[in-house]
Amino acid sequence: MTIPRDNAWCEINTGKPITGKDAGLMLCHDCRKVIPCPEDGSPVKCPRCCASVHLRKADSVTYTWALVITSLILLFPANLLPIMQVDYMGVQDYSTIMDGIIYFFKEGSYGIAIVILTASVLVPVFKILGIMMVLLSIHFRWESWLRHKTIMFRFIEFIGRWSMLDIFVIALLTALVNFGFFSTISAASAATYFCGVVISTMLAAITFDTRLIWDACIPSENTKVRNK
Amino acid sequence: MIKKAILCPECDLLLEQASVREGEKLLCPRCGAVLDAPKKHSVEKVLALTSTGILLYAPAIFLPLLTFDAAGLESTGSIADSFMALMDTHFYFTGIMVFLTTIFIPLVKLMMLFAVAAVIQTGRSTRKTAVMFRYYQHMDEWGMLEVYMIGILVTIIKMLHIAHVQYDVGFYCFIGLLAATLGSAAVLDKSQFWKLIDRQATEKERAGGADPCGQKGVIPAETAADAGARL
Repeated sequence: MTIPRDNAWCEINTGKPITGKDAGLMLCHDCRKVIPCPEDGSPVKCPRCCASVHLRKADSVTYTWALVITSLILLFPANLLPIMQVDYMGVQDYSTIMDGIIYFFKEGSYGIAIVILTASVLVPVFKILGIMMVLLSIHFRWESWLRHKTIMFRFIEFIGRWSMLDIFVIALLTALVNFGFFSTISAASAATYFCGVVISTMLAAITFDTRLIWDACIPSENTKVRNK
Repeated sequence: MIKKAILCPECDLLLEQASVREGEKLLCPRCGAVLDAPKKHSVEKVLALTSTGILLYAPAIFLPLLTFDAAGLESTGSIADSFMALMDTHFYFTGIMVFLTTIFIPLVKLMMLFAVAAVIQTGRSTRKTAVMFRYYQHMDEWGMLEVYMIGILVTIIKMLHIAHVQYDVGFYCFIGLLAATLGSAAVLDKSQFWKLIDRQATEKERAGGADPCGQKGVIPAETAADAGARL
């Protein structure tokens, strides 16, 4: 097989971009070395970094579905149960994530309220919906918005860790607000579920293979549409 | 003919390696993924920043961060205390998560990156260096110091009108630690690191005849250039 130099990305000439899969090459995802696919399909170790190399991440869609459904289930107790317990003068008071946000809105600290709302409510919901949408688009082979879907996924990967914000605030308050009988703060049951949501959404983003988004598009059909 | 074949890690597009200067970025024309971003003096800068981070680590984690002063009562604590407080109140899962993301992984990341850069600088890389750098890459997103920083700011704002907030030594050390950690990730040129590790390890294997990755059945080290020529 000979690929002329200018056609490395030959969308213009034949309407069919050549992928590593077409050319019998695969990429080590750890060190980005290009390795020829073995003809018998035997497992390959990267000669440069010793990682096991696959053409696509193994069982990516299955793992990602499992993790995203887990996080969706955990999201309900994380938001509905109290996440913080405040003891003030011997009186116990529980508050959920939303209570904390509403408190700041009422107080007029809109900036901080929006930061917490984004990190602990919008980010997890957006992540779960975004990953599910990408998974569905692979399942039904939706060919539009491929670039946008990849960019959205890149964004999801980036924002994932910021959901830990609320947990860190509670951990700090637990340690720092310790005035004995006068006032103490501690975590409540939702904290555990919330950690679960963060871990499972982050793992879902790691197990997902964005190349599957592009595999879903059939180049020949793409060309037909473009030639019309 | 393609001189050197590269593949986009996010959309698997086959491309030819273009020359990129330091400070520039090579982007995938189809999906926009960053393929290469060379940086000047990456190894030296990484060494400087990671050693700074390692020095600041202990004071940032163990010295008191903030002191709250309310109605004559004082309460103070460090980052290590915030983990211990969760463990004391029996939130083990959350506590371990806080321990890993803010105490354990940030330190391991700094030490690993320092070790890798130091080994490259002295020209003694082996495949073990490659494996260590691989572990660093996998741990990267699980260190969450910058999220913790925002957490500290939210805590301060929450307590501002309830208590008098006093900033302690740990707070300033933590800012330094955060800057060193973020800086070391920003100046890290991964493809340059991989090239240097590979070159040094290959030389050593040629001289010593050691098996790469220490096992049989590894395919011969065909370079991307060979793969491109084969097309």
